[in-house]
Amino acid sequence: MNPSLSVTSPPLVVKGLSLWAQARALLQHLDWQVAVGQRWCVIGRNAAGKSTLLRALAGLPVPRQEGEVAWFGRAAARWAAADAARVRAYVPQQASDRFTLRVDRLLALSSPAPGAVPLEEALAVLRALDAEHLASRDVTQLSGGERQRVALVQCRLQGAPLMLLDEPVSFQDPAHQLRVARWLVQQHDRALVFSAHDVNWIAQAATHVLSLHGDGRWEAGTVADMVAAAPLQRAYGCDWRREGGLWCAC
Amino acid sequence: MGLPTTRFKLLAAGLVGALVLVLAASLLVGSAGLDAQIVRTLRLPRVLAAAGVGALLALSGLAMQVLLRNPLADPYVLGTSGGAAVGALLALLIGGSLWLGAGLGALAAGLALLALTRAVLASADDASPRLVLTGAMLASLCGAVATLLLTITPDQALRGAIFWLVGDLSGASGGPIALVLASLLMVWMVWRERAIDRLLLGSEVAWLLGEPVRRLRLELLVAGALAAGVAVAVAGAIGFVGLVASQALRLAGVERSRDLAWMSPLAGAALLLAADLLARSVAAPLELPVGAVMALVGAPLFIALLARGGR
Repeated sequence: MNPSLSVTSPPLVVKGLSLWAQARALLQHLDWQVAVGQRWCVIGRNAAGKSTLLRALAGLPVPRQEGEVAWFGRAAARWAAADAARVRAYVPQQASDRFTLRVDRLLALSSPAPGAVPLEEALAVLRALDAEHLASRDVTQLSGGERQRVALVQCRLQGAPLMLLDEPVSFQDPAHQLRVARWLVQQHDRALVFSAHDVNWIAQAATHVLSLHGDGRWEAGTVADMVAAAPLQRAYGCDWRREGGLWCAC
Repeated sequence: MGLPTTRFKLLAAGLVGALVLVLAASLLVGSAGLDAQIVRTLRLPRVLAAAGVGALLALSGLAMQVLLRNPLADPYVLGTSGGAAVGALLALLIGGSLWLGAGLGALAAGLALLALTRAVLASADDASPRLVLTGAMLASLCGAVATLLLTITPDQALRGAIFWLVGDLSGASGGPIALVLASLLMVWMVWRERAIDRLLLGSEVAWLLGEPVRRLRLELLVAGALAAGVAVAVAGAIGFVGLVASQALRLAGVERSRDLAWMSPLAGAALLLAADLLARSVAAPLELPVGAVMALVGAPLFIALLARGGR
């Protein structure tokens, strides 16, 4: 990363971004930015465009896109692949592993250069995500939850200050959901955008929420403002009630 | 799953040992016994050709498996060798040089494929189905043309043509060229191992990690097509070895591209040498087609390996 860029420009700035799936508008004119230390959760019903948005934010091809995504003040499309890899990391909903590969080799391939990540640092990330015991396993033999935690370790070892995670806890059991939330909260020196469905988990893990209504409209705010009956109703189309400190759809 | 270091070293040593053994046997064994003249003028060129072609086909198969992210890909999957076969048959028919015909044919098929799939290679998306389908159609087309050409091949040339279509090492020259090309490709793949291993994770993943995916895929396509084209030009369309050499190593636990890149060509060379030795000695003086002998002995062995490996 070029330090002169990072001082003046936030990790992620989106200007007038519109996204479509075939003829359907998923998102219209999104103006939004993400600062270091912020953890944004993208919410919305199924097929609202959360994954498409995360792909567009990562610079990956989407069916149709207008407007601009910029990392550290430079449009995403203008970064060379090798430079982009230093500033932005992305975890897809599911990895597609076709060849056997040891997890530690996978992690070595995910770091920017051979030996770029000190062993101690790698071990600390593995421990934080309860993946240390997976290091010598074959990626194709991991369970869904294990593979997902390994993908989070991969993403962190890439070292990019902007981390984009598509549903990082969809396969995690409750204990590991908590673990991932705590790990996300510790990433003070990064800018995070992730998607999730569990509103109570989001209240733990995120500082801000971007809500996609699925018809092009969107709203953004702090987690305190957005995890509330009215915005949740607008996001999901059902009523919400708070019981014993937890949000329930009703 | 990776191999423990000691087992990996054993495997590597076994592979090198097998290659040396089969090389020596191929030079020394034959119906004419041990005659310096025969060893030098007849057996040596043939041994070099078998080793070079085996190595090239194994490397080409490996390149195709990476390019298509498909462990079942082989050198012939994209139709370049089909193009070579058509070119060689044409040369046989009109009395031109087999070498030139096969070379031009492979080149034409490779260029056609490039033109047809440029868009596929250009996108960062893992669009292998379109690439592999286009290649399969090209291969079918070449196969059909080759069959049609066979029907108009005069009787006296037919036997030679068929032997050439299934692969034939007798009188093959060009071994040194094949060996040089195989060595260059091997060095290139070892050098690019990190990028290749990343590409195996998926082309989008590789791009996100900073690899210029488009160029790498183009390089793999050119390398794989070149290797297959030269192999076919030297010895005809020999099957099996290109699919099996790297696969057998994967089943034995070798998973890094660096290791596969140097071990697959050795395995391919040893395999083809052994098959050729069998093909020319079991029914001597009759020579059996080497490709058929190899698959006849190799396929059951590979199935046994699959059953034992259990994945």
